Amino acid sequence: MSASGGDQPVILAADDDEDILQLVAFRLGRSGYRVLQAHDGEEALALATEHEPDLAVLDVGMPKLDGFEVVRRLRAQESTRAMPIIMLTARAQDTDVEEGFDAGANDYLRKPFSPQELKARVQAMLARR
Amino acid sequence: MSLMVAVSACFMALSFALLTTLALRHAVLGRRDQHTADAERRMRPLAIGLMEDGDPVPDLSQADQRALATVMGRYSRKVSGGTSERIGGYFREGGGLAAELEGMRSRRAWRRAAAAYALGDMACPEVVPMLAAALEDRNDEVRAAAVRSLGRLRDPTVTETLVESLVAHRVPRGMAGAALLQLGSDAVPELRRIAAHEDAAVRQVAMTVLGLVGDSGDADVALVALRDPAADVRAAAARALARIGTGSAEPALREALGDPEHFVRAHAARALGAIGAYTAVPRLVEIARTDRFKPARAAAQAVAAIDPETLVAEAAGPDAGAHLHEAADLALI
Repeated sequence: MSASGGDQPVILAADDDEDILQLVAFRLGRSGYRVLQAHDGEEALALATEHEPDLAVLDVGMPKLDGFEVVRRLRAQESTRAMPIIMLTARAQDTDVEEGFDAGANDYLRKPFSPQELKARVQAMLARR
Repeated sequence: MSLMVAVSACFMALSFALLTTLALRHAVLGRRDQHTADAERRMRPLAIGLMEDGDPVPDLSQADQRALATVMGRYSRKVSGGTSERIGGYFREGGGLAAELEGMRSRRAWRRAAAAYALGDMACPEVVPMLAAALEDRNDEVRAAAVRSLGRLRDPTVTETLVESLVAHRVPRGMAGAALLQLGSDAVPELRRIAAHEDAAVRQVAMTVLGLVGDSGDADVALVALRDPAADVRAAAARALARIGTGSAEPALREALGDPEHFVRAHAARALGAIGAYTAVPRLVEIARTDRFKPARAAAQAVAAIDPETLVAEAAGPDAGAHLHEAADLALI
């Protein structure tokens, strides 16, 4: 089960860009989610393993472990195998999007991104669970 | 004697004064950078509130106003949709846009360049025609700032204008390429067109950017460019095929392994590894044993990507060489 405990779903947001991380945390926090923040891939993996959030929003280009590798490792763990994952990618190429899906991501958003759209995707994905 | 002592004392005093000045300057600049970073950190929540909730701008000191504008400008490169529109609104209503538009009319080139640069971070699409016109400015720094800002604003209607400025050498090639890259797939038709341009430097930019924003449907252009008379273009084509190439690119890339330029051979080897060209493995093994450093290393790594078992077997042979050994060691980790 997830870390939500109460009624508040828990979202893991991971990005090494502090501007984006704070913006994502603000938008999702305002939308009623509890947001765990990670600044690199290793921290994201550790937080996901410890708290088992309801959903993760992961940047692709992060230090220590990139977003693709975090997804692969989350999919390899029993406790996080089914966690919905949205990738945020600054890269314009379709091959990167394909790589994200191949690694096991459920959805992606390209940067520059709309926080409102991210919120809508998160809501839709959690509603499908 | 006393004159020499006096001269030496003067030099020592001058050296001391110079060192003291440098140390003070270093300390002052470091402190100023720290203050700026602190102010921007403090302004970030305010900027987010402005962008996301439409909060009013409170009374701020001039330094905080500058920091807030910097943070908003930074966000303009990272967000889209309604958030981006509210950033534009902040600069329109706060007077930032008007100040930079005025700057674009300045007689001083540095002011026009600064304005052209700033306009790219204000999320105000109405400045696009003015920036496009600035690509004709008599000053090269203004033109460079304008092309950078046009890329930032990602308006696909300026694709042809950007390409024209690239072709006419009015802007630095790298900056024009970066701007076209930010336009993404909207730039593909123009990139395909200039991939056959008479100027090799233009063809190289076209091939490089096409390799990043194109898809497998654009591999035909790269295959033609792989036979280009200019080695830089052939290298860019091989690099592009590593991303957008499919199995059909394999014969041309195998042929490129015999290119007279070592860096083209290296890129061709990497591309063969990326597309998983199994039938190229024997030739790649041979190159890994006999070629110069870069193509040999790239070939060994390509074999590791395509067929790790063959790599390990070849690396165990008596004449394997350093590159096959290294690739096999890395593959076994």
